[in-house]
Amino acid sequence: MSDPVLEVLARSALVSGSATAVALLIGLPVGTWVALGRARSRRATVALVNTGLAVPTVVVGLVVALLLWRSGPLGHLDLIYTLRGMVIAQVLIATPLIIAITVASLSLLPAELPDQLLALGAHRWQMVGRLWLEARLPLLVAAMAGFGHALSEVGAATIVGGNIHGQTQVMTTAIVEGVRRGDFRSGLTYAGVLLALAFVVNATLASVQQRGASWSRP
Amino acid sequence: MVAALTLAGVEHRRGDRTVLRVDRLGVERGERLAVLGPNGAGKTTMLRLLAGLEPPTQGRVLIGDLDPASLPAQDRVRLRRQVGYVTQHATLLAGTTVARNVELPLAWRGVPRAQRRDRALHCLAAFGVAHLARRKAQFLSGGEAQRVSLARALAPGPAILLLDEPAASLDPASRASFLADVERVLGDRATTLVHVSHRPDEALRLADRVAVLVEGHLRQVATPLEVIASPGDATVARLVGYENVLDVVVDERGDVRVGDSVVLRGCAATPGPAVLAAWAAGLELGPEPADGPAFRVDRVRPGQGRWQVELRGAAPLTAHLPWATAPPGVGDAVSVSAGASAVVIAQGTSPPSLVALAQGR
Repeated sequence: MSDPVLEVLARSALVSGSATAVALLIGLPVGTWVALGRARSRRATVALVNTGLAVPTVVVGLVVALLLWRSGPLGHLDLIYTLRGMVIAQVLIATPLIIAITVASLSLLPAELPDQLLALGAHRWQMVGRLWLEARLPLLVAAMAGFGHALSEVGAATIVGGNIHGQTQVMTTAIVEGVRRGDFRSGLTYAGVLLALAFVVNATLASVQQRGASWSRP
Repeated sequence: MVAALTLAGVEHRRGDRTVLRVDRLGVERGERLAVLGPNGAGKTTMLRLLAGLEPPTQGRVLIGDLDPASLPAQDRVRLRRQVGYVTQHATLLAGTTVARNVELPLAWRGVPRAQRRDRALHCLAAFGVAHLARRKAQFLSGGEAQRVSLARALAPGPAILLLDEPAASLDPASRASFLADVERVLGDRATTLVHVSHRPDEALRLADRVAVLVEGHLRQVATPLEVIASPGDATVARLVGYENVLDVVVDERGDVRVGDSVVLRGCAATPGPAVLAAWAAGLELGPEPADGPAFRVDRVRPGQGRWQVELRGAAPLTAHLPWATAPPGVGDAVSVSAGASAVVIAQGTSPPSLVALAQGR
Protein backbone atom coordinates (compact mmCIF):
# COMPACT_ATOMS: atom_id res chain seq x y z
CA MET A 1 0.00 0.00 0.00
CA SER A 2 1.43 3.40 -1.02
CA ASP A 3 2.30 6.08 1.49
CA PRO A 4 -0.46 8.50 0.39
CA VAL A 5 -3.09 5.77 0.88
CA LEU A 6 -1.72 4.94 4.33
CA GLU A 7 -1.64 8.62 5.20
CA VAL A 8 -5.28 9.06 4.17
CA LEU A 9 -6.21 5.88 6.01
CA ALA A 10 -4.49 7.11 9.18
CA ARG A 11 -6.21 10.49 8.88
CA SER A 12 -9.59 8.87 8.40
CA ALA A 13 -9.05 6.68 11.46
CA LEU A 14 -7.86 9.67 13.48
CA VAL A 15 -10.80 11.91 12.55
CA SER A 16 -13.47 9.24 12.90
CA GLY A 17 -11.87 7.72 16.00
CA SER A 18 -11.71 11.13 17.70
CA ALA A 19 -15.27 11.90 16.65
CA THR A 20 -16.45 8.55 18.00
CA ALA A 21 -14.68 9.11 21.32
CA VAL A 22 -16.29 12.53 21.74
CA ALA A 23 -19.65 11.19 20.57
CA LEU A 24 -19.39 8.42 23.19
CA LEU A 25 -18.62 10.97 25.89
CA ILE A 26 -21.82 12.79 24.94
CA GLY A 27 -24.01 9.93 23.73
CA LEU A 28 -23.46 7.44 26.54
CA PRO A 29 -24.53 9.77 29.40
CA VAL A 30 -27.34 11.31 27.36
CA GLY A 31 -28.60 7.88 26.27
CA THR A 32 -28.43 6.68 29.87
CA TRP A 33 -30.30 9.74 31.09
CA VAL A 34 -32.97 9.16 28.47
CA ALA A 35 -33.24 5.43 29.25
CA LEU A 36 -33.56 6.01 33.00
CA GLY A 37 -35.66 9.16 32.70
CA ARG A 38 -39.35 9.68 33.10
CA ALA A 39 -41.58 8.39 30.32
CA ARG A 40 -42.71 11.78 29.04
CA SER A 41 -39.24 13.30 28.63
CA ARG A 42 -37.98 9.98 27.26
CA ARG A 43 -40.52 9.94 24.44
CA ALA A 44 -39.68 13.50 23.42
CA THR A 45 -35.93 12.92 23.50
CA VAL A 46 -36.16 9.63 21.58
CA ALA A 47 -38.21 11.41 18.91
CA LEU A 48 -35.53 14.12 18.72
CA VAL A 49 -32.72 11.56 18.51
CA ASN A 50 -34.51 9.61 15.79
CA THR A 51 -34.89 12.82 13.83
CA GLY A 52 -31.15 13.32 14.22
CA LEU A 53 -30.57 9.85 12.76
CA ALA A 54 -32.57 10.74 9.67
CA VAL A 55 -30.71 13.99 8.90
CA PRO A 56 -28.51 13.55 5.78
CA THR A 57 -24.81 13.98 6.51
CA VAL A 58 -24.53 16.72 3.85
CA VAL A 59 -27.08 18.73 5.80
CA VAL A 60 -24.99 18.29 8.96
CA GLY A 61 -21.94 19.33 6.94
CA LEU A 62 -23.73 22.38 5.60
CA VAL A 63 -24.84 23.51 9.06
CA VAL A 64 -21.39 22.97 10.57
CA ALA A 65 -19.76 24.77 7.62
CA LEU A 66 -22.10 27.74 8.05
CA LEU A 67 -21.20 27.89 11.74
CA LEU A 68 -17.45 27.56 11.14
CA TRP A 69 -17.28 29.75 8.05
CA ARG A 70 -14.98 32.72 8.44
CA SER A 71 -17.96 35.07 8.65
CA GLY A 72 -20.04 32.59 10.70
CA PRO A 73 -20.72 32.74 14.43
CA LEU A 74 -17.80 30.40 15.18
CA GLY A 75 -15.58 31.69 12.37
CA HIS A 76 -13.08 33.17 14.81
CA LEU A 77 -12.14 29.63 15.88
CA ASP A 78 -10.65 29.11 12.43
CA LEU A 79 -11.86 25.51 12.15
CA ILE A 80 -13.25 25.38 8.61
CA TYR A 81 -11.24 23.03 6.36
CA THR A 82 -9.45 21.55 9.35
CA LEU A 83 -9.46 18.11 10.89
CA ARG A 84 -11.00 19.52 14.06
CA GLY A 85 -13.85 20.97 12.04
CA MET A 86 -14.39 17.54 10.46
CA VAL A 87 -14.36 15.95 13.91
CA ILE A 88 -17.10 18.37 15.02
CA ALA A 89 -19.25 17.44 12.02
CA GLN A 90 -18.72 13.72 12.57
CA VAL A 91 -19.53 14.05 16.26
CA LEU A 92 -22.91 15.45 15.25
CA ILE A 93 -23.38 12.55 12.87
CA ALA A 94 -22.34 9.77 15.28
CA THR A 95 -23.90 11.05 18.50
CA PRO A 96 -27.60 10.41 17.66
CA LEU A 97 -26.75 6.85 16.64
CA ILE A 98 -24.85 6.23 19.88
CA ILE A 99 -27.66 7.75 21.95
CA ALA A 100 -30.27 5.62 20.15
CA ILE A 101 -28.35 2.37 20.65
CA THR A 102 -27.55 3.25 24.28
CA VAL A 103 -31.23 3.85 25.01
CA ALA A 104 -32.19 0.59 23.30
CA SER A 105 -29.43 -1.35 25.10
CA LEU A 106 -30.33 -0.12 28.57
CA SER A 107 -34.04 -0.57 27.90
CA LEU A 108 -33.38 -4.27 27.36
CA LEU A 109 -32.19 -4.66 30.95
CA PRO A 110 -34.82 -5.57 33.58
CA ALA A 111 -36.86 -2.48 34.45
CA GLU A 112 -36.38 -3.08 38.20
CA LEU A 113 -32.57 -3.32 37.96
CA PRO A 114 -31.68 0.37 38.51
CA ASP A 115 -33.81 0.56 41.65
CA GLN A 116 -32.56 -2.80 42.85
CA LEU A 117 -28.96 -1.60 42.53
CA LEU A 118 -29.76 1.60 44.43
CA ALA A 119 -31.50 -0.48 47.08
CA LEU A 120 -28.38 -2.62 47.39
CA GLY A 121 -26.52 0.49 48.44
CA ALA A 122 -25.11 1.86 45.18
CA HIS A 123 -24.50 5.54 44.64
CA ARG A 124 -26.12 6.77 41.47
CA TRP A 125 -22.84 6.69 39.55
CA GLN A 126 -22.14 3.16 40.77
CA MET A 127 -25.58 2.12 39.57
CA VAL A 128 -24.98 3.63 36.12
CA GLY A 129 -21.53 2.02 35.88
CA ARG A 130 -23.05 -1.36 36.71
CA LEU A 131 -25.76 -0.92 34.08
CA TRP A 132 -23.11 -0.10 31.48
CA LEU A 133 -21.19 -3.23 32.45
CA GLU A 134 -24.35 -5.32 32.14
CA ALA A 135 -25.05 -3.82 28.69
CA ARG A 136 -21.39 -3.81 27.61
CA LEU A 137 -21.86 -5.81 24.42
CA PRO A 138 -24.66 -3.71 22.91
CA LEU A 139 -22.82 -0.59 24.05
CA LEU A 140 -19.78 -1.83 22.16
CA VAL A 141 -22.04 -2.14 19.14
CA ALA A 142 -23.00 1.51 19.70
CA ALA A 143 -19.34 2.56 19.64
CA MET A 144 -18.58 0.50 16.55
CA ALA A 145 -21.68 1.70 14.75
CA GLY A 146 -20.81 5.30 15.58
CA PHE A 147 -17.29 4.79 14.25
CA GLY A 148 -18.55 3.08 11.10
CA HIS A 149 -21.09 5.81 10.47
CA ALA A 150 -18.49 8.54 10.88
CA LEU A 151 -15.90 6.74 8.78
CA SER A 152 -18.21 6.06 5.85
CA GLU A 153 -19.90 9.44 5.54
CA VAL A 154 -18.75 11.69 2.72
CA GLY A 155 -21.04 14.71 2.69
CA ALA A 156 -19.89 16.46 5.84
CA ALA A 157 -16.24 15.52 5.30
CA THR A 158 -16.30 17.15 1.87
CA ILE A 159 -18.09 20.33 2.91
CA VAL A 160 -16.34 20.93 6.24
CA GLY A 161 -12.95 19.42 5.37
CA GLY A 162 -12.71 20.57 1.78
CA ASN A 163 -10.78 17.43 0.68
CA ILE A 164 -7.43 19.22 0.84
CA HIS A 165 -4.60 16.86 -0.13
CA GLY A 166 -2.21 16.15 2.70
CA GLN A 167 -4.44 17.98 5.18
CA THR A 168 -8.10 17.06 5.25
CA GLN A 169 -8.52 14.35 2.64
CA VAL A 170 -10.02 11.19 4.06
CA MET A 171 -10.94 7.85 2.50
CA THR A 172 -14.42 8.74 1.36
CA THR A 173 -13.50 12.12 -0.12
CA ALA A 174 -10.52 10.49 -1.84
CA ILE A 175 -12.83 7.95 -3.48
CA VAL A 176 -15.16 10.70 -4.71
CA GLU A 177 -12.23 12.66 -6.07
CA GLY A 178 -10.81 9.62 -7.85
CA VAL A 179 -14.13 8.92 -9.57
CA ARG A 180 -14.57 12.58 -10.46
CA ARG A 181 -11.17 12.60 -12.15
CA GLY A 182 -11.88 9.33 -13.95
CA ASP A 183 -9.14 7.65 -11.91
CA PHE A 184 -11.17 4.57 -11.02
CA ARG A 185 -8.07 2.65 -10.00
CA SER A 186 -7.35 5.13 -7.24
CA GLY A 187 -11.01 5.14 -6.24
CA LEU A 188 -11.09 1.34 -6.12
CA THR A 189 -7.90 1.24 -4.04
CA TYR A 190 -9.39 3.57 -1.41
CA ALA A 191 -12.70 1.70 -1.57
CA GLY A 192 -10.86 -1.59 -1.02
CA VAL A 193 -9.00 -0.20 1.98
CA LEU A 194 -12.24 1.26 3.39
CA LEU A 195 -13.99 -2.09 2.96
CA ALA A 196 -11.05 -3.88 4.59
CA LEU A 197 -11.21 -1.45 7.51
CA ALA A 198 -14.97 -2.00 7.82
CA PHE A 199 -14.38 -5.76 7.76
CA VAL A 200 -11.71 -5.56 10.48
CA VAL A 201 -13.98 -3.45 12.67
CA ASN A 202 -16.94 -5.79 12.20
CA ALA A 203 -14.86 -8.95 12.62
CA THR A 204 -13.48 -7.57 15.88
CA LEU A 205 -16.96 -6.73 17.03
CA ALA A 206 -18.29 -10.17 16.11
CA SER A 207 -15.38 -11.79 17.91
CA VAL A 208 -15.99 -9.81 21.08
CA GLN A 209 -19.70 -10.63 20.92
CA GLN A 210 -18.96 -14.32 20.45
CA ARG A 211 -16.58 -14.29 23.40
CA GLY A 212 -19.26 -12.55 25.42
CA ALA A 213 -21.73 -15.24 24.40
CA SER A 214 -19.35 -18.08 25.27
CA TRP A 215 -18.52 -16.52 28.65
CA SER A 216 -22.20 -16.48 29.42
CA ARG A 217 -22.54 -20.26 29.04
CA PRO A 218 -22.80 -22.08 32.34
CA MET B 1 -38.06 3.71 71.58
CA VAL B 2 -37.79 5.00 68.03
CA ALA B 3 -39.56 2.79 65.48
CA ALA B 4 -37.42 1.18 62.79
CA LEU B 5 -39.72 2.51 60.08
CA THR B 6 -42.46 5.12 60.19
CA LEU B 7 -44.92 6.44 57.66
CA ALA B 8 -46.50 9.66 58.92
CA GLY B 9 -49.18 11.55 57.00
CA VAL B 10 -48.02 9.97 53.79
CA GLU B 11 -49.84 10.60 50.55
CA HIS B 12 -48.27 9.49 47.30
CA ARG B 13 -49.60 10.37 43.87
CA ARG B 14 -48.84 9.15 40.37
CA GLY B 15 -50.07 11.85 38.07
CA ASP B 16 -53.52 12.80 39.32
CA ARG B 17 -54.10 9.48 41.08
CA THR B 18 -53.46 8.96 44.77
CA VAL B 19 -51.89 5.51 45.04
CA LEU B 20 -51.13 5.49 48.76
CA ARG B 21 -52.48 7.33 51.77
CA VAL B 22 -51.34 6.30 55.24
CA ASP B 23 -52.02 8.47 58.27
CA ARG B 24 -49.57 6.64 60.48
CA LEU B 25 -47.86 3.28 60.47
CA GLY B 26 -44.84 2.35 62.55
CA VAL B 27 -42.76 -0.80 62.46
CA GLU B 28 -40.89 -1.55 65.67
CA ARG B 29 -37.31 -2.79 65.69
CA GLY B 30 -37.24 -6.54 65.17
CA GLU B 31 -40.93 -6.64 64.30
CA ARG B 32 -42.24 -8.53 61.28
CA LEU B 33 -44.99 -6.71 59.50
CA ALA B 34 -46.85 -8.28 56.60
CA VAL B 35 -48.63 -5.97 54.19
CA LEU B 36 -51.52 -7.87 52.68
CA GLY B 37 -53.47 -6.50 49.77
CA PRO B 38 -54.73 -7.28 46.27
CA ASN B 39 -52.78 -6.35 43.15
CA GLY B 40 -52.67 -2.60 42.65
CA ALA B 41 -53.32 -1.84 46.33
CA GLY B 42 -50.14 0.24 46.68
CA LYS B 43 -48.00 -2.40 48.39
CA THR B 44 -44.95 -2.00 46.16
CA THR B 45 -45.27 1.77 46.35
CA MET B 46 -45.19 1.52 50.13
CA LEU B 47 -42.05 -0.60 50.01
CA ARG B 48 -40.35 1.79 47.57
CA LEU B 49 -41.06 4.66 49.93
CA LEU B 50 -39.77 2.65 52.91
CA ALA B 51 -36.64 1.72 50.95
CA GLY B 52 -35.98 5.41 50.32
CA LEU B 53 -36.09 4.89 46.56
CA GLU B 54 -38.51 7.77 46.11
CA PRO B 55 -39.89 10.41 48.47
CA PRO B 56 -43.63 10.57 49.15
CA THR B 57 -45.59 13.35 47.46
CA GLN B 58 -46.65 14.47 50.95
CA GLY B 59 -45.76 13.41 54.46
CA ARG B 60 -42.70 11.74 55.89
CA VAL B 61 -41.14 8.32 55.72
CA LEU B 62 -38.61 7.76 58.47
CA ILE B 63 -35.89 5.14 58.68
CA GLY B 64 -35.17 5.20 62.39
CA ASP B 65 -35.63 8.89 63.13
CA LEU B 66 -34.20 10.10 59.82
CA ASP B 67 -36.09 11.17 56.72
CA PRO B 68 -34.05 10.17 53.64
CA ALA B 69 -35.73 12.90 51.58
CA SER B 70 -34.25 15.58 53.84
CA LEU B 71 -30.68 14.28 53.70
CA PRO B 72 -27.84 15.10 51.30
CA ALA B 73 -27.17 12.40 48.67
CA GLN B 74 -24.21 10.85 50.52
CA ASP B 75 -26.11 10.51 53.79
CA ARG B 76 -29.18 9.24 51.95
CA VAL B 77 -27.15 6.39 50.47
CA ARG B 78 -25.66 5.65 53.91
CA LEU B 79 -29.16 5.49 55.39
CA ARG B 80 -30.49 3.39 52.53
CA ARG B 81 -27.72 0.88 53.21
CA GLN B 82 -29.46 -0.05 56.46
CA VAL B 83 -32.33 -1.41 54.39
CA GLY B 84 -32.31 -4.54 52.24
CA TYR B 85 -34.90 -4.73 49.50
CA VAL B 86 -35.85 -7.78 47.45
CA THR B 87 -38.03 -7.11 44.43
CA GLN B 88 -40.79 -9.34 43.13
CA HIS B 89 -38.66 -10.68 40.28
CA ALA B 90 -35.08 -11.57 41.15
CA THR B 91 -33.13 -8.81 39.42
CA LEU B 92 -29.69 -10.33 39.39
CA LEU B 93 -26.89 -9.12 37.17
CA ALA B 94 -27.39 -11.73 34.47
CA GLY B 95 -23.90 -11.62 32.98
CA THR B 96 -22.19 -11.92 36.35
CA THR B 97 -21.58 -14.95 38.53
CA VAL B 98 -23.80 -15.66 41.50
CA ALA B 99 -20.92 -15.02 43.93
CA ARG B 100 -20.14 -11.64 42.34
CA ASN B 101 -23.82 -10.72 42.57
CA VAL B 102 -23.78 -11.32 46.30
CA GLU B 103 -20.41 -9.61 46.76
CA LEU B 104 -21.55 -6.45 44.98
CA PRO B 105 -23.33 -4.71 47.89
CA LEU B 106 -20.38 -5.63 50.12
CA ALA B 107 -17.96 -4.03 47.65
CA TRP B 108 -20.04 -0.86 47.65
CA ARG B 109 -19.74 -0.80 51.43
CA GLY B 110 -15.97 -1.09 51.29
CA VAL B 111 -15.72 -4.65 52.64
CA PRO B 112 -12.24 -6.05 51.79
CA ARG B 113 -12.17 -8.50 48.88
CA ALA B 114 -11.13 -11.53 50.97
CA GLN B 115 -14.00 -11.07 53.41
CA ARG B 116 -16.48 -10.43 50.61
CA ARG B 117 -16.14 -13.91 49.13
CA ASP B 118 -16.43 -15.59 52.55
CA ARG B 119 -19.55 -13.64 53.49
CA ALA B 120 -21.12 -14.22 50.07
CA LEU B 121 -20.56 -17.97 50.31
CA HIS B 122 -21.88 -18.01 53.88
CA CYS B 123 -25.10 -16.25 52.84
CA LEU B 124 -25.51 -18.46 49.78
CA ALA B 125 -25.01 -21.53 51.97
CA ALA B 126 -27.75 -20.32 54.33
CA PHE B 127 -30.17 -20.57 51.41
CA GLY B 128 -28.68 -23.84 50.13
CA VAL B 129 -27.31 -22.35 46.91
CA ALA B 130 -23.57 -22.12 47.66
CA HIS B 131 -22.92 -24.72 44.95
CA LEU B 132 -24.17 -22.18 42.37
CA ALA B 133 -21.58 -19.55 43.34
CA ARG B 134 -19.60 -19.77 40.10
CA ARG B 135 -22.57 -20.05 37.79
CA LYS B 136 -23.77 -17.10 35.69
CA ALA B 137 -26.93 -15.64 37.21
CA GLN B 138 -28.80 -15.84 33.91
CA PHE B 139 -28.82 -19.63 34.07
CA LEU B 140 -30.58 -19.95 37.43
CA SER B 141 -34.12 -21.24 37.87
CA GLY B 142 -36.73 -18.90 39.37
CA GLY B 143 -36.40 -20.41 42.84
CA GLU B 144 -32.59 -20.36 42.75
CA ALA B 145 -32.56 -16.76 41.55
CA GLN B 146 -34.86 -15.64 44.37
CA ARG B 147 -32.69 -17.41 46.94
CA VAL B 148 -29.61 -15.68 45.53
CA SER B 149 -31.47 -12.37 45.50
CA LEU B 150 -32.36 -12.78 49.16
CA ALA B 151 -28.82 -13.89 50.06
CA ARG B 152 -27.54 -10.77 48.29
CA ALA B 153 -29.90 -8.51 50.24
CA LEU B 154 -28.91 -10.12 53.55
CA ALA B 155 -25.15 -10.27 52.88
CA PRO B 156 -24.46 -6.75 54.20
CA GLY B 157 -26.49 -7.54 57.35
CA PRO B 158 -29.22 -4.92 56.95
CA ALA B 159 -31.15 -3.88 60.04
CA ILE B 160 -34.33 -3.81 57.97
CA LEU B 161 -35.44 -6.15 55.19
CA LEU B 162 -38.20 -5.37 52.71
CA LEU B 163 -39.60 -8.25 50.68
CA ASP B 164 -41.86 -7.54 47.72
CA GLU B 165 -43.72 -10.80 47.07
CA PRO B 166 -40.46 -12.66 46.48
CA ALA B 167 -42.27 -15.97 46.01
CA ALA B 168 -44.94 -14.66 43.64
CA SER B 169 -43.38 -16.05 40.48
CA LEU B 170 -42.62 -19.49 41.93
CA ASP B 171 -44.66 -22.66 41.55
CA PRO B 172 -46.42 -23.91 44.71
CA ALA B 173 -43.74 -26.47 45.65
CA SER B 174 -40.86 -24.01 45.11
CA ARG B 175 -42.81 -21.33 46.98
CA ALA B 176 -43.31 -23.50 50.04
CA SER B 177 -39.66 -24.51 50.14
CA PHE B 178 -38.50 -20.92 49.51
CA LEU B 179 -40.67 -19.55 52.33
CA ALA B 180 -39.45 -22.27 54.68
CA ASP B 181 -35.87 -21.18 53.91
CA VAL B 182 -36.75 -17.52 54.48
CA GLU B 183 -38.40 -18.37 57.79
CA ARG B 184 -35.41 -20.45 58.90
CA VAL B 185 -32.77 -17.87 57.93
CA LEU B 186 -34.68 -14.94 59.43
CA GLY B 187 -35.33 -16.97 62.55
CA ASP B 188 -31.70 -16.47 63.58
CA ARG B 189 -31.74 -12.72 63.06
CA ALA B 190 -33.25 -9.68 64.72
CA THR B 191 -33.93 -8.11 61.35
CA THR B 192 -36.98 -5.87 61.10
CA LEU B 193 -39.08 -7.30 58.28
CA VAL B 194 -41.74 -5.77 56.06
CA HIS B 195 -43.14 -8.42 53.77
CA VAL B 196 -45.65 -7.66 51.07
CA SER B 197 -47.98 -10.26 49.62
CA HIS B 198 -51.41 -10.75 48.14
CA ARG B 199 -51.46 -14.31 49.49
CA PRO B 200 -52.80 -14.58 53.05
CA ASP B 201 -50.89 -17.80 53.77
CA GLU B 202 -47.56 -16.11 52.92
CA ALA B 203 -48.37 -12.86 54.67
CA LEU B 204 -49.60 -14.48 57.88
CA ARG B 205 -46.77 -17.01 58.00
CA LEU B 206 -44.00 -14.42 58.40
CA ALA B 207 -45.85 -11.80 60.42
CA ASP B 208 -46.11 -10.53 63.97
CA ARG B 209 -48.59 -7.99 62.67
CA VAL B 210 -50.57 -7.63 59.46
CA ALA B 211 -51.46 -4.38 57.70
CA VAL B 212 -54.25 -4.86 55.17
CA LEU B 213 -53.91 -2.39 52.32
CA VAL B 214 -56.73 -1.85 49.82
CA GLU B 215 -56.79 0.84 47.13
CA GLY B 216 -53.95 2.68 48.83
CA HIS B 217 -55.63 2.80 52.25
CA LEU B 218 -54.96 0.76 55.37
CA ARG B 219 -58.13 -1.17 56.20
CA GLN B 220 -56.89 -2.98 59.27
CA VAL B 221 -53.66 -3.33 61.23
CA ALA B 222 -53.71 -6.18 63.74
CA THR B 223 -52.11 -9.46 64.70
CA PRO B 224 -52.58 -12.37 62.29
CA LEU B 225 -55.04 -14.00 64.68
CA GLU B 226 -57.13 -10.84 65.00
CA VAL B 227 -57.24 -10.30 61.25
CA ILE B 228 -58.39 -13.88 60.71
CA ALA B 229 -60.86 -14.04 63.59
CA SER B 230 -62.17 -10.49 63.28
CA PRO B 231 -61.71 -9.13 59.77
CA GLY B 232 -62.50 -5.42 59.68
CA ASP B 233 -64.76 -5.53 56.65
CA ALA B 234 -65.87 -7.71 53.76
CA THR B 235 -62.80 -6.88 51.66
CA VAL B 236 -60.45 -7.83 54.48
CA ALA B 237 -62.43 -11.03 55.02
CA ARG B 238 -62.03 -11.97 51.35
CA LEU B 239 -58.32 -11.10 51.46
CA VAL B 240 -57.60 -13.32 54.45
CA GLY B 241 -59.26 -16.17 52.63
CA TYR B 242 -62.89 -16.50 53.75
CA GLU B 243 -64.52 -18.37 50.87
CA ASN B 244 -68.04 -17.14 51.72
CA VAL B 245 -68.54 -13.43 52.22
CA LEU B 246 -72.22 -12.59 51.95
CA ASP B 247 -74.61 -9.71 52.46
CA VAL B 248 -76.93 -10.82 55.26
CA VAL B 249 -79.58 -9.37 57.57
CA VAL B 250 -79.51 -9.81 61.34
CA ASP B 251 -83.02 -9.79 62.79
CA GLU B 252 -84.19 -8.79 66.28
CA ARG B 253 -83.72 -12.35 67.59
CA GLY B 254 -80.15 -12.41 66.38
CA ASP B 255 -80.89 -14.78 63.50
CA VAL B 256 -78.70 -14.17 60.48
CA ARG B 257 -80.54 -14.54 57.21
CA VAL B 258 -79.29 -14.96 53.67
CA GLY B 259 -82.43 -14.04 51.79
CA ASP B 260 -85.09 -15.99 53.72
CA SER B 261 -82.74 -18.75 54.86
CA VAL B 262 -81.44 -18.62 58.40
CA VAL B 263 -77.76 -19.59 58.39
CA LEU B 264 -76.82 -18.55 61.92
CA ARG B 265 -78.97 -18.33 65.03
CA GLY B 266 -78.62 -16.31 68.21
CA CYS B 267 -75.92 -13.95 66.97
CA ALA B 268 -75.05 -11.02 69.25
CA ALA B 269 -74.66 -8.57 66.34
CA THR B 270 -76.68 -5.37 66.04
CA PRO B 271 -79.89 -6.00 64.06
CA GLY B 272 -79.79 -4.77 60.48
CA PRO B 273 -77.82 -5.36 57.30
CA ALA B 274 -74.46 -7.01 57.84
CA VAL B 275 -71.81 -9.10 56.16
CA LEU B 276 -71.27 -12.73 57.02
CA ALA B 277 -67.80 -14.19 56.54
CA ALA B 278 -67.75 -17.96 56.78
CA TRP B 279 -65.05 -20.50 56.06
CA ALA B 280 -66.10 -23.15 53.59
CA ALA B 281 -64.83 -25.76 56.06
CA GLY B 282 -66.99 -24.16 58.79
CA LEU B 283 -70.33 -24.52 56.95
CA GLU B 284 -72.48 -27.35 58.19
CA LEU B 285 -75.02 -28.98 55.87
CA GLY B 286 -78.17 -30.54 57.23
CA PRO B 287 -81.42 -32.00 55.96
CA GLU B 288 -83.88 -29.83 54.08
CA PRO B 289 -85.40 -27.37 56.57
CA ALA B 290 -89.09 -27.71 57.33
CA ASP B 291 -89.65 -24.03 58.06
CA GLY B 292 -87.84 -22.18 55.30
CA PRO B 293 -86.24 -22.25 51.88
CA ALA B 294 -83.36 -24.64 51.33
CA PHE B 295 -80.09 -24.39 49.45
CA ARG B 296 -79.62 -26.82 46.57
CA VAL B 297 -76.42 -28.66 45.78
CA ASP B 298 -75.16 -27.38 42.47
CA ARG B 299 -71.88 -29.20 42.16
CA VAL B 300 -69.74 -31.66 44.13
CA ARG B 301 -66.04 -31.92 43.33
CA PRO B 302 -63.21 -33.82 44.95
CA GLY B 303 -60.73 -31.32 46.42
CA GLN B 304 -57.48 -31.50 48.34
CA GLY B 305 -58.43 -33.92 51.11
CA ARG B 306 -62.04 -32.78 51.10
CA TRP B 307 -65.24 -32.54 49.12
CA GLN B 308 -65.91 -29.16 47.60
CA VAL B 309 -69.66 -28.54 47.48
CA GLU B 310 -71.10 -25.60 45.55
CA LEU B 311 -74.57 -24.51 46.74
CA ARG B 312 -77.11 -22.18 45.26
CA GLY B 313 -79.98 -20.45 47.00
CA ALA B 314 -80.39 -16.90 48.17
CA ALA B 315 -76.64 -16.56 47.61
CA PRO B 316 -74.00 -18.89 46.19
CA LEU B 317 -72.05 -20.72 48.91
CA THR B 318 -69.06 -23.02 49.00
CA ALA B 319 -68.79 -25.75 51.61
CA HIS B 320 -65.90 -28.11 52.29
CA LEU B 321 -66.80 -31.47 53.76
CA PRO B 322 -64.39 -34.00 55.25
CA TRP B 323 -63.18 -36.61 52.80
CA ALA B 324 -64.59 -39.41 54.93
CA THR B 325 -68.10 -37.92 54.82
CA ALA B 326 -70.50 -39.02 52.11
CA PRO B 327 -71.22 -35.82 50.16
CA PRO B 328 -74.79 -34.85 49.21
CA GLY B 329 -75.94 -35.50 45.69
CA VAL B 330 -76.28 -32.81 43.05
CA GLY B 331 -79.78 -31.28 43.25
CA ASP B 332 -80.31 -32.27 46.89
CA ALA B 333 -82.03 -29.67 49.10
CA VAL B 334 -80.06 -28.93 52.27
CA SER B 335 -80.07 -26.50 55.17
CA VAL B 336 -76.90 -24.54 55.85
CA SER B 337 -75.55 -23.47 59.21
CA ALA B 338 -72.65 -21.06 59.29
CA GLY B 339 -71.00 -22.74 62.26
CA ALA B 340 -68.99 -21.42 65.15
CA SER B 341 -66.12 -19.95 63.14
CA ALA B 342 -68.30 -17.59 61.08
CA VAL B 343 -67.98 -13.85 61.66
CA VAL B 344 -70.74 -11.26 61.34
CA ILE B 345 -69.49 -7.80 60.42
CA ALA B 346 -71.85 -4.88 60.97
CA GLN B 347 -72.45 -2.73 57.89
CA GLY B 348 -71.93 0.99 57.58
CA THR B 349 -68.84 1.14 59.74
CA SER B 350 -66.26 1.08 57.04
CA PRO B 351 -62.60 1.80 57.81
CA PRO B 352 -60.57 3.48 59.04
CA SER B 353 -62.56 3.00 62.28
CA LEU B 354 -62.83 -0.68 62.99
CA VAL B 355 -66.24 -2.27 62.79
CA ALA B 356 -68.11 -3.90 65.59
CA LEU B 357 -67.72 -7.62 65.45
CA ALA B 358 -70.01 -10.34 66.60
CA GLN B 359 -68.70 -13.85 66.74
CA GLY B 360 -71.31 -16.41 65.72
CA ARG B 361 -72.38 -18.92 68.29
